[in-house]
Amino acid sequence: MESRHVYTVSEINREARALLENEFGTFWIQGEVSEITRAASGHVYFTLKDESAEISGVRFKSRTSFLSPPDVEIGSEVLAQGRLSIYEPRGRYQFIATLLQPVGAGALQRAFEKLKQQLQEEGLFDPVHKRPLPTAPEAIGIVTSPRGAAIRDVVSVLERRWPCTRVLLFPSAVQGDAALHELPAALDRAERFSRDVHPLDLIILTRGGGSAEDLAAFNGEALARRIHACQVPVISAVGHEIDFSIADFAADHRAPTPSAAAEVAVPDVADVSRALHAFVQRVVDRVGFAWRQLADQYVYRVDACRARSPVRRFETHMQRFDLVTTSIQQSIGLHWKAQEERSKHLAEVLRLSDPWLPLARGYSLTSRAGETQPLRDLGALAKGDEIDTRLASGKIRSRIEEVTTNDD
Amino acid sequence: MTIEQELKQLEEIAKQLESSELPLEEAIALFEQGMKLAGTIRTSLSEAKLRIEQVIEKTQGDFKLEALDIE
Repeated sequence: MESRHVYTVSEINREARALLENEFGTFWIQGEVSEITRAASGHVYFTLKDESAEISGVRFKSRTSFLSPPDVEIGSEVLAQGRLSIYEPRGRYQFIATLLQPVGAGALQRAFEKLKQQLQEEGLFDPVHKRPLPTAPEAIGIVTSPRGAAIRDVVSVLERRWPCTRVLLFPSAVQGDAALHELPAALDRAERFSRDVHPLDLIILTRGGGSAEDLAAFNGEALARRIHACQVPVISAVGHEIDFSIADFAADHRAPTPSAAAEVAVPDVADVSRALHAFVQRVVDRVGFAWRQLADQYVYRVDACRARSPVRRFETHMQRFDLVTTSIQQSIGLHWKAQEERSKHLAEVLRLSDPWLPLARGYSLTSRAGETQPLRDLGALAKGDEIDTRLASGKIRSRIEEVTTNDD
Repeated sequence: MTIEQELKQLEEIAKQLESSELPLEEAIALFEQGMKLAGTIRTSLSEAKLRIEQVIEKTQGDFKLEALDIE
């Protein structure tokens, strides 16, 4: 039995690396930079590509003096010198550059600019073609991959802002050669669906971020023409804020990201609820006002009727009668009170004028015997005359012994 | 009627109520109509759930809808 050598992973990576390094040695390569990352370590990682393939590359820190950052960026066509190797821990095949220099603008960028200019001249991007977006779409068509990040982002925003809509996904590849044909076909399918099956208020054409070549399918001419001809308004949202595609220019509205596309596509349910509340308040106020007006009129009329009613007249008479009666009672009362005071006063005067009253306190009245006229002075009284003295309890008859005047 | 149409109709009712000197009876009828509409919209908004479907076209013009779960 023939014995087979069994490699460990490390062994095969090590041997493959040696083979690659020895076989190719140092060489020159030309391509377009499609990704470039300047790591914190100082190493620069990049990808070079042409129409049909790409290769990962790295420039280690010690040699980066050749790589001046402003000159090499995504889209740059570069001429590089270096060798091939394998990064053993990951088994990754890569180009290790020792020299990297730009060779004019990238070919893809040139193609992009050429197509953009051509379509612009044809009027495909004219503002006059841009249609307004519906305010509250009932059905939204989405052209993207069912497995990408874009559909998840769009759906999560729609669920939060405006869940009362219907999302219809028209699946399509969103990168590579397949996408060049599938994207316009999916858009065409969405438009026919809208016309024949169920109307779409809006179509969102989208994919998440990626490298320039990942997004390249959205720069296709067929897609741009399809968007322009589409009867349903189209929002284009390709990659991130910094990425502009031909599709963006041709669409009715460009959104910087898939989430942003969903944000502009629908109103916010919270805003609508607030508006609804304000409306109900307005209507209640209006009707409440009309009601109060009517109620006021009613009260006014009831008052008017009451003022003319016989009961009211009777009430008036009764009131007048009451008034008069009261005043009579009052004046009688006053009069009576005055009379009473007056008679009390007279009684007191009379009481005080009772001639007998002083006698009770020890005074007495004197008169000539047999007369009633009280004596006020000694007058013609002389010794031997008879006088009567009246006290409270009786009378004394006396004869005068002596008369003396006060002057003596 | 879609929510958008309902909202538009509600706006119309509000305008009528605010601008014209309607007899009270008509105003109250409009008011009741508006309140009913507002209730319908409020219910639609609170009970709404996003429907997500995938549209497949087997042969030209033959559309098929499939429910789609987005995790």
